[in-house]
Parts: sequence; C-alpha cells; structure tokens
Amino acid sequence: MGWFSLRRTPAALAAAVDDLGTGLIALRRGAGDMAPPGTVVVVFNPAGQARRGAAGKVTCASGDTAFCFHPGPYTVDITPFAAAPEWGLRLRFVIDAANPHVPQQRFDLYLCAEVVPDLDRLPLTRLAAAMQGAVQSALAHGALDLPPCTALVEWHAFRAGLNQLLYTRFGVTVDDCVPVDLGDQVDFAAVLQARAQQAAIDEQAALPAAPLQPELHSMSALPPPDVPDVSEVPGVPGIPEVSVTARPPGTQSGAAQPAAAPAAGADAAGLRRLFLELPAVSRDLRLLDLPAGQALFQQHQALLLRLGMASLNVDTMPTLGWAAPDQPLDASGQARRAGATRIAVGALDEAWALLARLQRAEAGDWPALLDDADRMCANLETGLALRRAPHGEPREPAL
Amino acid sequence: MTTLSMIDLPRNAACRCLLADGRTVTVTASRRPRANRADVKCSVPNAPAIAERMQQVVRLARHTETRLDSRDQVVLSMDLAPDAGQRHWELAAVLADRMVRGLYPPQGGAPGAGTVLACAQGWSDRWHLGQVNDATVGDTAIGHLGALSGHADPASAVSSVRAWFPLHSGGINDALAWVEVSVFAIEEGAGGGEEETIAAPGLDLAGQQDVRHTLAGARHFDGRGLGRWRTVVQFGQPRFHGGSYQLALVMADRLARGREFVPRGRLIATGMSSAWHAGVVETVEGREPKLALIAGLAGPGDRVLLPGAWQDALPPGFAAALGQAGASVACIDRIGMI
Repeated sequence: MGWFSLRRTPAALAAAVDDLGTGLIALRRGAGDMAPPGTVVVVFNPAGQARRGAAGKVTCASGDTAFCFHPGPYTVDITPFAAAPEWGLRLRFVIDAANPHVPQQRFDLYLCAEVVPDLDRLPLTRLAAAMQGAVQSALAHGALDLPPCTALVEWHAFRAGLNQLLYTRFGVTVDDCVPVDLGDQVDFAAVLQARAQQAAIDEQAALPAAPLQPELHSMSALPPPDVPDVSEVPGVPGIPEVSVTARPPGTQSGAAQPAAAPAAGADAAGLRRLFLELPAVSRDLRLLDLPAGQALFQQHQALLLRLGMASLNVDTMPTLGWAAPDQPLDASGQARRAGATRIAVGALDEAWALLARLQRAEAGDWPALLDDADRMCANLETGLALRRAPHGEPREPAL
Repeated sequence: MTTLSMIDLPRNAACRCLLADGRTVTVTASRRPRANRADVKCSVPNAPAIAERMQQVVRLARHTETRLDSRDQVVLSMDLAPDAGQRHWELAAVLADRMVRGLYPPQGGAPGAGTVLACAQGWSDRWHLGQVNDATVGDTAIGHLGALSGHADPASAVSSVRAWFPLHSGGINDALAWVEVSVFAIEEGAGGGEEETIAAPGLDLAGQQDVRHTLAGARHFDGRGLGRWRTVVQFGQPRFHGGSYQLALVMADRLARGREFVPRGRLIATGMSSAWHAGVVETVEGREPKLALIAGLAGPGDRVLLPGAWQDALPPGFAAALGQAGASVACIDRIGMI
C-alpha cells in the first residue's frame, strides 16, 4: 500500500538518504528497504522495545517500526540564553555505539517517544531545538552555570554538566563544545526592529488583549513547541501508528465523536511520552548510587514510589474528548486538559535533567536535589490530576 | 549546583503600597502546604471583586517565572479594601507572592529585609509578559518585572539592562548603585560617529564624555555593534566620583546588545580601564569596603566581577561565602569569553 506515498518516490528518497549524516539524523524505513552503509538500524516492536542491527536490508515483522540513523558527528550552534541571541555554543556530538550495560539505549527511547508519533524522519534542526530548550531551561533553573566572563574552572564544570545532561536526556555524546560568536547568523538589532514593527502593527489593530485564564502557570522548563513546518515533512508515514495510550472502553459508545480540538495531537504525544519515559526515568533513578544514610534512602524510596504511581496514573488516563460516558467535552475543556498534560511533560523534562545532576552529585548535594525531586513529583502529580479532573479545577474548600 | 532551596524560607511576607487616596495598604502573603487546594487564594475585606482580580494578576505574573512549584499554596490578603477603580496595588500583590516564595528580594539581600517592608506601586494589563506601568519599587522606577534583577524585557523593542556597582562613601552610606543601558536599533550608518549616538542624561559634561568614550571603546573591542544602536545610559545615583562604574557599564551594554551570557540574578561589577578598545580591566580604589559591601548584598544567582589584580588580595573564604549565598565571583583581566 505504501507504493504511492511520497516517502517512496525515488528522487525524494535518494535526497533524504544522501542527507543522512549531515542535515538528517534518522529516517524511517519499511521492511525490505535498504539502510545505507554507515548507518545503524533500530527496530521498535509495538510494545516500544528496540533492537539495533547493522546496515543493509531491513527485516522487521508487521507492526514493527524501523529507523536507520547515522551516528554522526554532527555540528550544531545553540543559543544558551534567549536574551543573548548573538552569543552561542557550537556543539559537536555523535550518537555512540550501543552501551551493553543498559537494557535500553537512551537515543532509541528518544526516537521512539518523541519522533515516531508524528514524523518519519529526524532532521538535525529538530534535535538541535530540543537540545537548546533543555540547555536553556537547565541554565534558568541553576542546574548549569554559565555566567558572564566565565572562568576556566567554571567552564569545565559547565562542560561536565552539559555532557551529562545531553547524554541522559537525548543519548548523544558531546565531544566538543566551544563558545562562538553568532553575530554573522543573528542580528539582534534586526530582532529589535522586528519587535518594534510588530508592536506598531498590534497598536494599529488596537485589539484589547484577551485576558488569559491560566489554570496553573506552566512556563516551567517548556521549550517552545518545536513542531516542524508541515512542508518539511513530505508524505504521510505508511506504517500505521502504534497507539500506546490506554483507552477506556467507554469511548466506543454510539454517541457522536466530539470534534477533535487542535490540542488533541499535542495531548496524545505528551501522554505517549509520559507512558514510555516515566518507567525509564524511574528505572535509572533506582540504579543510582546513594550516599549512606537512612533519611536519604527513605526519600529515594518515596520518590520511586511516587513515580510508579504517576506511571500508573498515566496508563489509565481517560481520553481527551469525553467528560463522561455519552458526554463530550467542549473545546475549551479539551484545551484545559491539554494544558495540564503540558505541565506533566514539563515535569518529565525536569526529571531527566534532575537525573543527570544526581548522577554527578556528591553526597553534600543530595538533600537539595531530593528536595527538587519532591517539587518535580508534585508538579507531575498536579498536572496528571488536572488532566484527569472532569470539571476544571476543584473548588477551594472553605478553610 | 546552586538551586534556591525552599527549606529555610519564612512562611510570611508583606509588601506595602501607597494608594492614590493617601492610604497605605499592606498585602500579606503566607505559604502553606497546598494539599490539593488552589495554588493562589486571595481575600480582601468586603471586596470580593478585588480579591478575584488579585488572584488573576498573581497567576498571570507567575507566567514569567521559570520555576514551577506546585507544593505550596500562597494566601494573599489586604488589610483594607482599595477603591474599586484603583489598581496600583497590583505590583505589591505580585511582589508579596514572590517574596514569600523566596524569589524577591534575593535572600540575604538588603540588610534587615525581613523587618523593613518593601513599598511598591504599579499596575499592568500585560502581567503575563511581566510588563508594568507607572511602577516604583522603593524609590526605583521599573518597567518590567525582570528589571528587579537587571534583565531586559524580552518583548520590548528597547533592550534595557541594569548592572550594579559598589559606591563607597565613607562606610555607613556605602551602597550598590545601578547603571542602566538602553539600546534601540537604528539603520546602519544613520547616526554619525559612535559617540554621538550615546546619551547620558543627568550627568555633568565630563561624566557624559567619560561614558561615551568608555562605551565607544568597548564596542570597538567587541567588533560588532558599531553604528547599529542609539544608546541611553542612566544612573540610579548620578552624583559620584571616579570611574569604577566603567566595568558595570560595559557589561550592561554587552548584555543589552545580546552579546554576553546572562547571569541568573544581578550583575555586580567594579573595575575601570584606560584601554577599553583592548578589553583590558584595571584595578580601582577602595577594595576592602567594596568587598565587604558586596559580600553582604550578593544574593542567589548574582554574578560578581572584580578586577584581576584583586585575585590575590581577596579575603580568605570570600568566594566560598558568596557561593553559600548562591552567587559566584570572578576576577578578570579582560572582558570577553573565558
């Protein structure tokens, strides 16, 4: 059935294959396709488990999803501070060979959780944007420090934290990182001029800004949604998606399906990430080497228990479009629920960043980091509880 | 690894506001475990509409924070009800909400911060962007919540950044003074020489010349930024002697033009140079009192920059004490990367 999809037109395909290793990191392949030499093949089964293979003819069963990726090296420029667009970091990274000591490679999990649902390829720009978001939020939270006029000692500490963060979050190995002047690519003066023009346009439109009604503020650790331009993705993947979000049986009732809100896609992708990544992050947290002490041990156990409960919560999450059986949820309610999912996904991103810090922490850092873990868990639970709530925020009890 | 910890914070904070009718209203914030309650709860005697508006304002202003913490509920209350059309209390509510969560003022900030109540007036229609109208905190005017730690407004066409420098005036009057650099983009080559595009209202003629010369020299060293900007430099306290503000001025200019890594908190710098076109930083006078002042006032996320010549003369434990407060220090011979 895939013969007519754009993905398989010879010219587009040849271009994409040539691009592997420079502008394109990974490309989806079907059974029987050739993976070009120098690439690595990853096959995901419907349960999300991955196995790697050598380049050549791809063999996979029906229902499996196969990708081939090029290990690199890749070079990207990222901006560590949104307020300083002309001052950047040039990273060179590779995707390493499989680590035999772990049951699941982190890069495979990244592909499976964040690329598979909506894309049939992973452009370098998308990974770079995600990396930039992770670095910016780590710097804003104080997990990494890159102050002005960085001393050499501070730079080494930053590099170590950055390497660990990107390895833990994306499974890429940074082998070089230098500060770089991006003045040739970005002109901050032009950015400011564009803002002035935009402000003038807004003033002419003279629309009173609609007051926002936030449920909870959700700015935490959220990089801008880096959904790529639709024109960038030719063709729809021919292989049917593996739906991993649990659906309650009530959704098959005969009532009319509620209209899909624009938030539906983001909500499903967010829940899918939570479903796939929460067990992985709690497994990695369980493997940490704890400093001696009963108090830390108990906090660590409580953290793992809460993550397990959150994972169960995600597994049984009700569908987006229904407030109750036979009672569709309106678009604003769906947008509210999608916002709650965003809070939970933000907490998941923080959990990966926190894991990276815990892996490098000394004994003295643990209490503060576990306090941060407590906060992350509370945010995760809040997001999931709001996502599950049938009718908006619970009313304040009279206290 | 310097994350602000919530463990040892006060559970109450208060912020005052002078209303237009001459009364002073005190906004009191207290923090308690959230336990599945709303994140913000507000109460105003006999004015539920104002309480509702206060909750909305505080929630919108929280959109500008990076750190989401849903563990605590903040309860805000006013001791008297402002008139219905009166909106200048909004900034006081936002600041009280931040104080009780340790976000403002920086812990260990102003001496006796727990006893002296802050006083703030201001209102806004764009709290979600952090922009404030007619706002004063203490006796300092701000246009954006980020200006409290010197950051530029990310939505504004004018990039204004503040940096602080220690002013030594005989012990008891020592203070951190700020310098603000605002840059606005102009067409390339529109404004004659670089020094003519730089204005420093409030300074005497010699001071203006000094500021212009410093900035033009530092931009030469930078290589970019010549002929692209119209610049206004303002000082919080325009009556001072000496050139120890120069490093703060130069760093604020680099930050405002988006060409420097951004500190999480304030940038506190002292240092001058006779050769800014080479980026060299030279020593200044008054080392001991200035170091003592900085050690007392630096808070979480602050970045302290000192002349490289002070490296060996720092009192023992100075860097460690700053690190304890969440700040970091560097003694530099040159500006720029690494």
